[in-house]
Amino acid sequence: MKQWQSYKKISQLRSFFWAVPAVVWQIVLLYIPLIFVLMRSFVHKGGAHLFDQFSFRYYMELLDATHAIILFRSFMLAAVTASVCLLIAYPIAYFLSFYVSRFKNILLFFLIIPFWTSLLVQLYAWFFILDKHGVLNVVLQKLGILSEPYHLLNTPFAVYLVSIYCYIPFMIMPIYSILEKFDIRLREASLDLGATRWETFMRVTVPLSLPGIKTGFYLVFIPAFGEFVIPMLLGGGKQLYVGSLITHYFLVSRSPELGAAFTWLSSIVLIISTIVMQWLFVRAITPRKIRHNL
Amino acid sequence: MRSIRLDNVTKSYDGDIVIENLSLTIPSGKFFALLGPSGSGKTSLLRLIAGFETADSGSIFLGNEDITHMPIHKRNINTVFQNYALFPHMDVFDNVAYGLTIRRIPKDIIEQKVIKILKAVHLEKQIYKSIHQLSGGQQQRVALARAIITEPDVLLLDEPLAALDLKLREKMLIELIELQDNLKTTFVYVTHDQFEALTVADYMAIMNHDGVIEQIGTPKEIYEFPTSSFVAQFVGSTNIFTGVIKSGAFEVQDLGLMQAAIPDKPWAVEGAQALMSVRPEKIEISKSKIEGFSNEFQAKVEAIVYHGRSTQYNVRLSNDMLLQVFEQNEEHFPHEVIDYDDMVYLYWQKENVVMLEK
Repeated sequence: MKQWQSYKKISQLRSFFWAVPAVVWQIVLLYIPLIFVLMRSFVHKGGAHLFDQFSFRYYMELLDATHAIILFRSFMLAAVTASVCLLIAYPIAYFLSFYVSRFKNILLFFLIIPFWTSLLVQLYAWFFILDKHGVLNVVLQKLGILSEPYHLLNTPFAVYLVSIYCYIPFMIMPIYSILEKFDIRLREASLDLGATRWETFMRVTVPLSLPGIKTGFYLVFIPAFGEFVIPMLLGGGKQLYVGSLITHYFLVSRSPELGAAFTWLSSIVLIISTIVMQWLFVRAITPRKIRHNL
Repeated sequence: MRSIRLDNVTKSYDGDIVIENLSLTIPSGKFFALLGPSGSGKTSLLRLIAGFETADSGSIFLGNEDITHMPIHKRNINTVFQNYALFPHMDVFDNVAYGLTIRRIPKDIIEQKVIKILKAVHLEKQIYKSIHQLSGGQQQRVALARAIITEPDVLLLDEPLAALDLKLREKMLIELIELQDNLKTTFVYVTHDQFEALTVADYMAIMNHDGVIEQIGTPKEIYEFPTSSFVAQFVGSTNIFTGVIKSGAFEVQDLGLMQAAIPDKPWAVEGAQALMSVRPEKIEISKSKIEGFSNEFQAKVEAIVYHGRSTQYNVRLSNDMLLQVFEQNEEHFPHEVIDYDDMVYLYWQKENVVMLEK
């Protein structure tokens, strides 16, 4: 027993050793800068005072309807993108893992190709599709759905559409990797016990793929919340999102204190939403609490 | 409880025929074992009955109802899977209750039934445990409880005890027999283990490597009166002699005439080539002369394997054939000790051999 414990300790030490570079990387390039940003958001310079002083004034400045709307807008973009991605990605992952055997690798390869292309190139490709005289308008007119060309570029619709497009692979991959390992006999057992295919899907397949859904949801929700390239290029910068506003404060209006404060404010919103999501997922996964009526 | 009848069923996978023109009736309310070597298609047969696979041709009846093309969830047939296939995201209660929950039975009735059935399989203390907290034997019981709670007409068991150790397996076999006795459900038990099949079955069918059923009968009929050399060799161990039927006896080359009860079968005519099976425990072994046996041969002991309850002797006959002989270890201090290289006499009665068509 003792020997085992000491062995365990050594193996723990060993695994920690391998984690050191990653931890150092995180500390130096993420946590320390974040702390700088945090300090910056509280420190007020100048004015009549000689010294820097601690102050909440930047936060107070941000507590207004305009900023709340921007936070809400980003939250909506992230939530809708993640939800729609889930709805589209789940059937694809399901199909890939259960119904495709021969062309699986080729299809997965197609899924990964966009990652090899610069995001800017992908976005400019969308210009050709969404433009007033672009592919989509032409097709819709030919089909008689639109009577005259409709301006799709620089609209929230374009932002949502392209966000969903960009993030879908991040949703497919984790769900696929879970379904890939799925024990088919569990589905057979469910059918065998009298469940229809739909009931089996809802009661067995979906609950067991929740870890993948969860991972995918985070992988889409969190970056989509801070997204600024897509709103800028395809939304024409008409509507401000969290990412674009932070960029604006730091790079355009040269007010890094406000930028820092807003970064932290939006992080808090993001952290709270993540905690809520985590809670929802945990509730969905954990079996019913122990009852006491035996 | 209803019977199962397969009528000329054929099943192939990618052009590979696993089961060909198989007809079989599984009597209602009985414990039926399907015994066959690995890869004989017995699991395919089970999957056809359960509905996981559809027959290429032929029909399957549950009672008088044709279920050949009935979807799985509509068949009142449940399966206990080899690896149990318990739902890992549910606790014991939810696993067992699954079939009832699907049928939208009121919650209080579900609870009563689950508790009742868990008591029957001695799992009432584990009711809210997660599946991962259970031992292999307990998981087995959950799988069993889950499958019988909906009172199926037929329960299919696919090598259900394969993952358990010997002691537990013996215990579970007895419990299965008792369970079947109480429920009177038709049990179909698929296994490659002859010990399990002989233990549990009221009736058993022996499937050969080609997916053909060679014999159906009670365990005793199968063991004592096999109708083919495959059955004789697959169920239990046996010694097979090759020879010719000659004037009411059996002549083996270089060994002489053996007394044997020649069956009244069309193939068993004078001069016909035949096989003779003698079970190792039917042979008496001794260093001294004993009177009163219809067959007597001399042999040399080549190997002795002590099994505890019995001892196995591998002996060589004068025609160089190797025979297996089992002797019960009835005494702590046997009056006669047989050792390696001893010359011994082998005796057996002619009623205790089985003549088989070659």
